[in-house]
Amino acid sequence: MFAEVATMSAFPHLRSLHHVNQCHYLSPPSHIYRSITTTTTKSRRRHPEPLVVDLPWVLNTSTPATTTIPLDDPSLQSTDPPPVLKRSTPVATTSMLNDPSLKSKWSHRAWVASGGTTVLVSLAKSVTGAVDSGTWLQPILAGVVGYVLADLGSGVYHWGIDNYGDENTPVFGSQIEAFQGHHKWPWIITRRQFANNLHALARAVSFTVLPMDLIFNDPVLHGFVSVCSGCIMFSQQFHAWAHTTKSKLHPLVVALQDAGVLVSRSMHGAHHRPPYDSNYCIVSGVWNELLDTYKVFEALEMVLFFKLGVKPRSWSEPSSNWTEETDTSSLIAEL
Amino acid sequence: MASTPLPTAKHSLPSLLHAQTPKTLLSRKLPNLPKSFQSQFCGVKLSHSSNFAVPSSFKKSSILAKVSKGSVAPSFSLKDQDGKTVSLSKFKGKPVVVYFYPADETPGCTKQACAFRDSYEKFKKAGAEVIGISGDDPSSHKAFAKKYRLPFTLLSDEGNKVRKDWGVPADLFGTLPGRQTYVLDKNGVVQLIYNNQFQPEKHIDETLKFLQSA
Repeated sequence: MFAEVATMSAFPHLRSLHHVNQCHYLSPPSHIYRSITTTTTKSRRRHPEPLVVDLPWVLNTSTPATTTIPLDDPSLQSTDPPPVLKRSTPVATTSMLNDPSLKSKWSHRAWVASGGTTVLVSLAKSVTGAVDSGTWLQPILAGVVGYVLADLGSGVYHWGIDNYGDENTPVFGSQIEAFQGHHKWPWIITRRQFANNLHALARAVSFTVLPMDLIFNDPVLHGFVSVCSGCIMFSQQFHAWAHTTKSKLHPLVVALQDAGVLVSRSMHGAHHRPPYDSNYCIVSGVWNELLDTYKVFEALEMVLFFKLGVKPRSWSEPSSNWTEETDTSSLIAEL
Repeated sequence: MASTPLPTAKHSLPSLLHAQTPKTLLSRKLPNLPKSFQSQFCGVKLSHSSNFAVPSSFKKSSILAKVSKGSVAPSFSLKDQDGKTVSLSKFKGKPVVVYFYPADETPGCTKQACAFRDSYEKFKKAGAEVIGISGDDPSSHKAFAKKYRLPFTLLSDEGNKVRKDWGVPADLFGTLPGRQTYVLDKNGVVQLIYNNQFQPEKHIDETLKFLQSA
């Protein structure tokens, strides 16, 4: 994790950490110089240009017994993405951010349309059923329960995918690989196009909600199903917003994050710090405090370890595949 | 082995919420928890005689096997991290802290071992020795002790025989080996039993507090 004071001004979102285990830290760059705006006058005037880092950051691993980095400066408490260091060689960054795999395909859009339709049909059934019966309270309450449980479901799924299996796991392999890549390059999710980001969840929602739309008409059930499945389907969008710089977010989104209706940037930022074993829920995050305080996932991990002999990834030191890459090519926010 | 229901005698339940959670939101919201839940998440300290309410189906084996406060701890001989056989009787004449933990290299056990390590000088100053026991083999203990520079003895209770003999209760409906610590006085008599699965550092606080006040 970032430990050098030199990085703090560049990465104001970093928090103080106290490790007794191994930790990763950055070594400062070899050269830091100021770019100078030259003029045609005889005497050069140095302008207060932003620092330009000549060489990429190097990620070192070392094993200090304890590393305490006191960071009381409030300006260091934000978990917003780091400001970009203007690069003289943006090729790697540009190519990564313009990767075709981040763009939406028509198949992605089709799945999002399909998932969205099933959710809207369920919602419509709930509304029309409530209108017909004249009872609104129960469907609305069912919707609230759906919203709350969607957050729990997102956490359980996220915990499972983050800790078990790999790219070769049947059914979930591609998701696991995607989550691993997300931990390494968290900011890329903000560059994924909408349907690209949501299509996997939209597909799952399509298969799950369609039978319910066809079989059931109960407005209370559909109140629950529509809100729960809608929140799950859009959880990737909430997730992306939790990685987005505040200045780039719509004020309504910021307000919802601040109110705790959507998972906040700071809460989700805590998940992206080693040992990556907390704050798994990504809809509203309302379950995170309870699950983390009562060590629910740790308990599940212990049970799985003793029953199946499988250790979760979060018990081990983060591998290079998991640790956030801090090379300049992965920085995308603006100064 | 099912979790043993809690005794009805007076308990000391450390304040989980205030000790652990700086945020006020959680302390306002959490309801009163059932006792069985509390023991695993808040800790149970038994420092005086108590009657255990044991289900009748387990009564016979439980009563015969259980080590309780005031009883002489049954002796054992187990291999340590260097493969040497160590007997509990070797430590007679000084207080001993015997802590049973689930397994090496798990998060809670690592925190607990490191906490014992960091307070080891205080235990020595109180004249006590510290012994950790789990079902892992000596080579696992050796690697664990080396990695975290543990200065005390780790014993291999392979097959969990001693754990069963002492009656260490399991957690989460028998799925997890329990985390329970015993403080024996210089005569080998149990003076304190502390159980807390998910707050491992509290074992150090409670046992040290007891030793320093004794």
